[in-house]
Amino acid sequence: MLRSFSSEWVKLRRRSMLLWGLGGTLFFTVLATVFTIERAVKTLEPGFHGHGFRITIAELSQPNGLVHGIVDVSNLVGIVALALFAGATATEYSQGTLRNLFVRQPGRIKLLCGKYLALAVFALLAIVLAIAVAVVVAFALGPGKGIHTSAWTSSTGVSDTLHAVLRIYLAALGYGLLGTALAVVLRSPAVAITVGIAYVLPGEAIIDAIWDNGDRWLPGQLLSAVAHGGTSSTSYSRALALVALYAVVVGIGTLVLFQRRDA
Amino acid sequence: MTDADPHAAAPRPSPSGEAAIQASALTKHFGERRAVEKIDIELPAGVVCGFVGPNGAGKTTTIQLLLGLIKPTSGTARVLGQPISAPQAYLPHVGALIESPSFYPTLSGARNLEVLTRLGGLPRTRIAEVLSQVGLTERAGEPVRSYSLGMKQRLGVAAALLPTPKLVILDEPTNGLDPAGIREMRALMRGLADRGITVFVSSHLLAEIEAICDHLVMIDSGRIVFQGTMTDLLAAQRSELVATPEFGRDLEALVKLSAAAGHDARIDGDSVRVVAGEDWAAELNRQAMAAGITLRGLRSTRASLEEAFFAITGGAEAGGSSEGLSPIRGED
Repeated sequence: MLRSFSSEWVKLRRRSMLLWGLGGTLFFTVLATVFTIERAVKTLEPGFHGHGFRITIAELSQPNGLVHGIVDVSNLVGIVALALFAGATATEYSQGTLRNLFVRQPGRIKLLCGKYLALAVFALLAIVLAIAVAVVVAFALGPGKGIHTSAWTSSTGVSDTLHAVLRIYLAALGYGLLGTALAVVLRSPAVAITVGIAYVLPGEAIIDAIWDNGDRWLPGQLLSAVAHGGTSSTSYSRALALVALYAVVVGIGTLVLFQRRDA
Repeated sequence: MTDADPHAAAPRPSPSGEAAIQASALTKHFGERRAVEKIDIELPAGVVCGFVGPNGAGKTTTIQLLLGLIKPTSGTARVLGQPISAPQAYLPHVGALIESPSFYPTLSGARNLEVLTRLGGLPRTRIAEVLSQVGLTERAGEPVRSYSLGMKQRLGVAAALLPTPKLVILDEPTNGLDPAGIREMRALMRGLADRGITVFVSSHLLAEIEAICDHLVMIDSGRIVFQGTMTDLLAAQRSELVATPEFGRDLEALVKLSAAAGHDARIDGDSVRVVAGEDWAAELNRQAMAAGITLRGLRSTRASLEEAFFAITGGAEAGGSSEGLSPIRGED
């Protein structure tokens, strides 16, 4: 598996991977940070229920205010991860390179696990780097909007930020697994990414609108709950447990298909 | 006087007797389509074996089965003594080029090989060695998307050579190569055989196979129609003597003279083609001289691989060409 991990890193250093993986994550996190800070107000209008990036300066001055905007766009970071994992895996099918890999690494489970692990580390680096840049941007813009940044650097603030990074990363791994599974099933990067995004964004929204308790069971909703540290309908621990269960089922199914299907 | 035998040119280590590839009733169906049907193959180690057949005959499917890429519907096979159900036992000693070479277009040739080197746990020094072997050293740092088809083909062969293999399986390795590239590829394959490496090379270019292989497996419509040495195959084919008299008026007399001796003969241009082995050439010359016919040319011809293939499969008249099977040496 380590050979597959090492081999995958040669491919991950490609400019296209850096552009879409790192660039995409960086774009959403920095944009969300800028929007959140720039649109922060002293008080919200009566009856406003907190949609979009509208938040008070007082809330942003809390220890968890530093990454507030980033958590709000965790779904988009997840979409980037989904596209990254799906693209990297499905391209092996569409380009015909998978056969070369199978000849040099007949252990298909090791091959796919090593690939997923390499992509997971790449996603971690991308998320950490993107959030680091967003944090710098937040510290640069915050005081100008009257936001007190001292709470961000308190021990509680640092802990809240690190936990948010961990939650966003765990959610991204889930999206990545979904992307990998779609890639193995559909074997086309364009189709896998399109189906993945179509399911996560409009697909689950439609199902959720029809199904009353959909947000408690749908994978995308649960991944969002993980990134946010829980929602009003699903606690963090419940979301995490269900996501782990789904991950095991999807992971095993993907490995079985990858192992057994003709190349 | 006789055609040169290309198979006698290069001395090679004799086959060890151990089978490099062994298949028994190997079958692969894709739904209703029978791609490969109960094929038996016994390929000795240390030979250059041609795997010939028209497009769609089952060559690539057979190669994919042997490499463990697809699972057989039924039957068994062993590669380097190991069952194809356990490819991890033999693939570290096998190099392969499957169908058209596939690479990551934005990575350089060297980086593409690095992907495979790391995956196979192979020494990085092999990259420079194999690039040198296929003549790609100077272009190794350029992205593969800038490579011609011939260069990609060479890179594919380089990838196959990475593990210092005991068996090299090449699927249409001369596709896209120019005549000089084909000659180099031929030399490369002979070089591998000289080092005791078994080469199993598929092609639909019969002249190419005839030039480089000493062993042959023929497949048609998913079934093996011949396997054995090239010499055995060609020796089993009808050989002819081509006698050219000094004067055209003697052609008829030569035909009658041959027929009287029990050999079928026919006029072909300014010559007479006599169905007879090389051993009858001296007798024909003697009888012609006794009949007052002076021969200005006398040579024996052997059936080509192309003619042998069509004779075995019955797919086309000798000298013709069935779909996807080309006697012409060169690019596809």
